[in-house]
Amino acid sequence: MNIQQEQHSEQQWLIRVAGRLDHELTPQLNTILNEHIEAGHYHLIVDLSQTTYINSGGLRCLVSAWRKVRENQGNLILCGLNSRLMNTFSMVGFDKVFQIITDCNQLPDNS
Amino acid sequence: MPTKHSLTVPGQYREIRQLCQFVMDGAKEAGLDETALFHVELACDEACTNIIEHGYQGEGKGTITVSWEIVPDAFVITIHDNGRAFDPDEVPPPPEFDDTNTAANIKNLKTGGLGLHFIRSLMDSVHYQFSPNGNTLTLIKKRPSAKGSNTS
Repeated sequence: MNIQQEQHSEQQWLIRVAGRLDHELTPQLNTILNEHIEAGHYHLIVDLSQTTYINSGGLRCLVSAWRKVRENQGNLILCGLNSRLMNTFSMVGFDKVFQIITDCNQLPDNS
Repeated sequence: MPTKHSLTVPGQYREIRQLCQFVMDGAKEAGLDETALFHVELACDEACTNIIEHGYQGEGKGTITVSWEIVPDAFVITIHDNGRAFDPDEVPPPPEFDDTNTAANIKNLKTGGLGLHFIRSLMDSVHYQFSPNGNTLTLIKKRPSAKGSNTS
């Protein structure tokens, strides 16, 4: 499975993405994030520590989910970005949009 | 004369990875480093995505031909399609994001034009040409020897 999900705390759901967030994987992630949001899960963490690549479509998918949870007083936190991904985020200023945690083992209990 | 290598595929998202791998193989041959290879991959991905999304306005509407050649000072990629004419220079860069915690910012956060922004940021030079034969986007990445001080 390229995308795994588990309940991280009472309110938070953790979604792990492994592989390349491109045209093949992004639609799957989009579906999963939307399912969580429709279920009222507005506190999401996306673990990108096993993600090796992201393009603009992958970024749009994350921003779209971030926007929806923010509108419901929630948050979408990212963790574990490698330097290449971090570079991709910062090129378009998305490092300022998302709360990004370096180490996925040091996640907050509430977002 | 440098040899030009070309690959033509149907304009479908699932073909993009193969197209960009083809370009990256050339970029490796040109001596680009890992970071530059990543730049070439992402720019190629975004350019081909834009062709399908905006040029052809959907999958399966035409072909995409990607070519690459190694010249003394650069790695040159050309991407050709027969879709709608599309001038990247007419697309403004995405806005800067400073204070994202305001409700207005959440609503106004624009995500269009990201692909072009990547292409412009990652390549040393970007040219666009439209003719009755279609659109040609030329992406140029300087080779390491061209950036160093000891070129002869």
